[in-house]
Amino acid sequence: MDSNKKYWKGLEELKKTKEFTEKNKGEFSEPLPIEEVLNEAGLSTIAPRRDFLKTLGFGLGAVTLAACNKSPIHKAIPYLVKPEEVVPGIPNFYSSSYNGHSILVKTREGRPIKIEGNPSCVLSKGKMSAQGQASVLDLYDVSKLKGPVYNGNSTTWPQLDQYVKGELNKIKANGKKIKIISSTINSPSTKAVIGDFIAQFPNTKHVQVDAISYTGIIKANENSFGVAVIPGYRFDRAELIVSFGADFLGTWISPIEYSRQYASNRNNAALKNKKMSRHIQLEAGMTMTGTNADTRILIKPSEQGIALMNLYAALGGANVSKPLANNPNANKAITLIAKELLAAKGRCLVVCGSNDVSTQILVNAINSLLGSYGTTIDLANASFQYLGNDAEFVSCVNEMKRGEVDAVFFMNANPGYDFINAKEFSDALAKVKLRVSFADRMDETAGLCQIVAPTHHYLESWGDANPVEGFYTILQPTINPINDTRYAEEGFLGWSENPVKDYYQYIQNNWNINVLPQANSTWKQLLQSGSIYFGEKPSGAFSFTQNLSAVFQTINNQSNALAKDGENAIELILYENVAVGDGKHANNPWLQELPDPVSKVTWDNYIAIAPKFAEKLGIGETDLAEVKTGRYSLTLPVLIQPGQAAGTVSIALGYGRTKVGKAGNEVGKNAYPFLSFENGTFQFTSAATISKVGGTYELAQTQTHHTIEGRNIIREATLKDYLKDPYSGTGKGHAKTYDLWDRYEHPGHNWVMAIDLNACTGCGACIVACSAENNIPVVGRDEVRRRREMHWIRIDRYYTYNEGAEKVTEENEIKQLENLDNVTVIHQPMLCQHCEHAPCETVCPVIATMHSSEGLNHMAYNRCIGTRYCANNCPYKVRRFNWFNYWNDSRFDNYLNNEFTQLVLNPDVTPRSRGVMEKCSMCIQRIQGGKLKAKLERRTIKDGEILTACQQTCPTNAIIFGDSNDPKSAVSKALTSERTYYVLEEINTLPGVGYQTKIRNIAEA
Amino acid sequence: MRSISLFFKSILPLLLFTAYFGIFSSSVSFAQDVGAGAAIFKQKCTACHAINKQVLGPALKGVSERHTEAWLLKWTKNAPAMIASGDPEAKVLYDKYKPTMMTAFTELSDDDVKNIYAYVKAEGDKPPVAAAGAAVGADGTAVGGSGDGGVSNFMLIGLIAVIVIAFLVILVLNRVINTLERVMLRKKGVEVEEEEEIKKDRLAGLKMLSKNKKFIFFLVLLSVILLGSAGWKGMWETGVHTGYQPVQPIKFSHQLHAGVNKVDCQYCHSGAYKSKNASIPSANVCMNCHNYVQATEKYNGEISPEILKIYTALDYNPETKVYGNNQKPIEWIRIHNLPDFAYFNHSQHVRVAGIECQKCHGPIQTMQEVYQYSPLTMKWCINCHRETEVNHKDNAYYDQLLAAHNQLKKGEKVTAAVLGGLECGKCHY
Repeated sequence: MDSNKKYWKGLEELKKTKEFTEKNKGEFSEPLPIEEVLNEAGLSTIAPRRDFLKTLGFGLGAVTLAACNKSPIHKAIPYLVKPEEVVPGIPNFYSSSYNGHSILVKTREGRPIKIEGNPSCVLSKGKMSAQGQASVLDLYDVSKLKGPVYNGNSTTWPQLDQYVKGELNKIKANGKKIKIISSTINSPSTKAVIGDFIAQFPNTKHVQVDAISYTGIIKANENSFGVAVIPGYRFDRAELIVSFGADFLGTWISPIEYSRQYASNRNNAALKNKKMSRHIQLEAGMTMTGTNADTRILIKPSEQGIALMNLYAALGGANVSKPLANNPNANKAITLIAKELLAAKGRCLVVCGSNDVSTQILVNAINSLLGSYGTTIDLANASFQYLGNDAEFVSCVNEMKRGEVDAVFFMNANPGYDFINAKEFSDALAKVKLRVSFADRMDETAGLCQIVAPTHHYLESWGDANPVEGFYTILQPTINPINDTRYAEEGFLGWSENPVKDYYQYIQNNWNINVLPQANSTWKQLLQSGSIYFGEKPSGAFSFTQNLSAVFQTINNQSNALAKDGENAIELILYENVAVGDGKHANNPWLQELPDPVSKVTWDNYIAIAPKFAEKLGIGETDLAEVKTGRYSLTLPVLIQPGQAAGTVSIALGYGRTKVGKAGNEVGKNAYPFLSFENGTFQFTSAATISKVGGTYELAQTQTHHTIEGRNIIREATLKDYLKDPYSGTGKGHAKTYDLWDRYEHPGHNWVMAIDLNACTGCGACIVACSAENNIPVVGRDEVRRRREMHWIRIDRYYTYNEGAEKVTEENEIKQLENLDNVTVIHQPMLCQHCEHAPCETVCPVIATMHSSEGLNHMAYNRCIGTRYCANNCPYKVRRFNWFNYWNDSRFDNYLNNEFTQLVLNPDVTPRSRGVMEKCSMCIQRIQGGKLKAKLERRTIKDGEILTACQQTCPTNAIIFGDSNDPKSAVSKALTSERTYYVLEEINTLPGVGYQTKIRNIAEA
Repeated sequence: MRSISLFFKSILPLLLFTAYFGIFSSSVSFAQDVGAGAAIFKQKCTACHAINKQVLGPALKGVSERHTEAWLLKWTKNAPAMIASGDPEAKVLYDKYKPTMMTAFTELSDDDVKNIYAYVKAEGDKPPVAAAGAAVGADGTAVGGSGDGGVSNFMLIGLIAVIVIAFLVILVLNRVINTLERVMLRKKGVEVEEEEEIKKDRLAGLKMLSKNKKFIFFLVLLSVILLGSAGWKGMWETGVHTGYQPVQPIKFSHQLHAGVNKVDCQYCHSGAYKSKNASIPSANVCMNCHNYVQATEKYNGEISPEILKIYTALDYNPETKVYGNNQKPIEWIRIHNLPDFAYFNHSQHVRVAGIECQKCHGPIQTMQEVYQYSPLTMKWCINCHRETEVNHKDNAYYDQLLAAHNQLKKGEKVTAAVLGGLECGKCHY
């Protein structure tokens, strides 16, 4: 059965706007300046004979001279003393960790070039997020400080130490306060160092504050159960997940871990067992998690608390229900959700993205009613990934304001940028005598400090982390410090006259006493494995007995404060997006160019607003609008976002850095000042107004690039249909098509790929992994606007209506335009399909693209002359053309065009030059490497030995690659799944990439 | 005449050297036992000793004066026993060089030992020769000192120049004689034909030829063919550097190391067996041998200037055996330059396919200085892939691959090309 459901990438495509059809008609979105070349001034100008001869002569002479250079001199400089473990040409892998996730760092000839997850990691199981993948590029960031700074001038470490020590001793004598302000520190050794420092300077206080705060959850658990922690959430044990605005697949607390857990109940294996979890998302802004939900219900921030109260009442808690006045949909849904939740008692999980203590206490109460504690929520195996305490930090700022603080140290914290009131903060800071920042660059806060003592990048450091209960990871340096940097910890050790001055020694001592003996392990074993896990603790019994009346009161008050009446009144949601996150990595061009999973916008933040609501306000796409609260206002471009709740707008945090570096400065605008501090935590929602201001701004959005002309390439089914007929929705049963060409033989290997659309969450980690592995250039905002992004793998995000296929007719569609808020989303990773009958191969005039006997579509860059016929003939639109020499062109200086940053390049992959077509090679360098390894060891290739970069990093295992000639391989098995279909199989290109249908677990009601 | 004097000047030092060496060598070859001693010395002693220089053991110059012959005999044949026996002289020596201890050479006869010391004495008595500049090797050939082997090249050019000049002089003289003869004849009153007339006739011939259309056509055709073929050939050879032999910072001889001493290629180029890069050995690999192999016997007791370059690079002091901090890498010049877009893996060819290094690198064991033997063109790669049978013996990787192959069933050769060795993506990605 073929679905006639309508899928569309952007509103312009849906509405077939004139501009859109124009842009998509030709090969290029912009007209090429052919006319200019061919007009009077160009072609028909008569070149004087003398000029002609001069040019000819010069050309001839130049060519002759160039040809005279018989053999260019290339130096080959070997090591003087080669480290024993290094063999030039062979990568070494070292275990380390990133943000508490155990990783493997690939180094070539001593320089780290790629991050992989460590399969032994408890959190990630060998997977990695986009930010983790991109973190290696930060090591080669030219914007970092070259050495310590004192009052804006470079200084030396002994001078710096002398000064700081002197100041500290003075402060010790006068009894004033010292503050260490940091983001979450879960490193046992760093904590011990700070502890030692505090012992020496007892007036010191360590304040932890996170830009994106989770204090609400910590405080709520403290109130409800007496344990001030973020619990361990077990999405894999939940058959029913109800999320109130928590983007747990994208950004919330531990997204890689949660994605893996989440997908384990929705992937191929789960569906084979006829089981699939159900996920209901209630939210206002379209989050990545929302796009993956089976059912998505729109509620405004002001309705969130009330909705939770209603749910609590419907589940049999205190009867405080107060139906939402303007949202009958949600009211109906909440009753149904309550029913479903009660049916799944003990196998369900309710989470909420709010940072409000009261709201989180209510969520605790709901989960307690549902018996989630001990099953899907584990307070005993808590997470230490966020430990920030907002109130402590705010009171710290107040103390600074009152002049009680004489010294302040900033470790991996940047309140100068992300504090709610930068002016208030800088004024307060000015009253502190000794201001020390350990930032690696002259960032917003470091600029306010008289001392900047840059610390190492994590790939240059020893260190450790304890991200969750019982799991300890180690950081191991993979390169000598590039700049004259020093551990922040060594600063503290030195200033407090600690007997151990060497941080490496300190960590080793710490582990030898506190961790290794208990684990019956040694330091060497630890360096090999990268982590130690003591196993899960038995989850204790926690009962919820709190009186909720105060909580209800607070929630009601907050709801009233958010819901303002008025023509332009809106509720503002501030969120962290998947790519740039909280803004720490804003100078990373890989992350800036990674399209947002939902809006597909790169290089900017924007005001996301619902289509109908925007129409009502008279605001259109690309218009500039101003969002205003009592304290702050911001003018940003508008993005029409289907699925956004009417009366709300969303703005991403993490943009608008001013002192982060060339690539990230002034990208977007800073929305942190919209945050407010209420009831002891930072609030990420606010009442605001919106108004159109003059002018437009074009966002660099990739959503409709490489469009597939509305062809039927997405296949989905409901769980009900799937259980009835596993082939449901795959569109099987086509009339036999006939081959124009002979089939290729694949006697050896046949490399193919299977992508599970039901597991893919759209996070984009594969895109960054691919960029790192395959030397994919960053093109920048302007070039993205011209549709020239170079990613070999993209994630197409399609919107569709909730209606069943049979109901869709042309009239219905038009009617649906009225209700664009209610859309569902599907993510489809799209990469070269390595077709057996590849349309690109037949049109290449120079045979630069060829089919291999192993089922791959090869691309020989040096044969390519850039006719771009192949890209034109590719029905999947996966070929990318190098419009510039991105590696050596001053226009791309801010990204990867400098010798230092280019140290990150993978030496096994040729960086492409201008005028050449490129595309996914299925990581052929890895295939060849894997084959060679097998040959050298005189054995056959093991399945799973060769992984493509995208597959290796995919947190949900949605991508499986392998040899289909091996019937036992994972990919062969995946492709025999009933859900498998091939994109555009009706045109008989015989793709090598098979997709598995998206299944939606929609309630039968 | 000036050129001749220059030429003489240039070869003068050489002549002097040769003369000097001739006299010198005749003066040293006085006793038979010195020759035998030299042979044994080179075989057994040079690993640790030199005449004028301390290596692992002391410099041997004047050793006969320092110790009695009887002691030397005993010591040489079994030094460890002497140390153990507590001989005072032996003790002093041992303390100075410990923990290194001289090996026992019980297989040497008394005569052998005496021969050795005779040789040592003879060598020690020689006046030291300056090693700088054009040092003379033991076998009498000139060894280039500061880089390009100037003397021999200059000589050759000089010779050619002299011949050419002589030829010109002969021509001119001939001409002069002719003219003079004619003048004399004219004075005698004999009519002599003027030369100009003959010239005129010759030019007329050329004019005739230039009017011959067939001739012109032939000439044009010939030149087109010649120029065309030269151009064609030149184009094909653009960027092909067969025979490329740059001057390297160290005059490293593969002929000596791989040819004469038969050092396994893998010893230095271990990467070729494991990695895509064959890799130039790091200086610490050189030091495995050159810690004590210093070729002092060839340089009159001095360390070979080429080996000294390794020491300089490592900032190594051969006297104190201490490495300093002022290390400078050795900047070799790459000879085999594959383009960046071609991926080549040594281990695939050397270990999997079992191809000899010489197949691509030529008779490396005979090369004094390495040059590019193969053209390294794609045609060359492809031809080899077409011809070379895959080395699938005892390699389980190929089992399934070959089982599926028709060629094998038909009894045909399975070459690299048959297994996809000609596909673009095998080398270009």
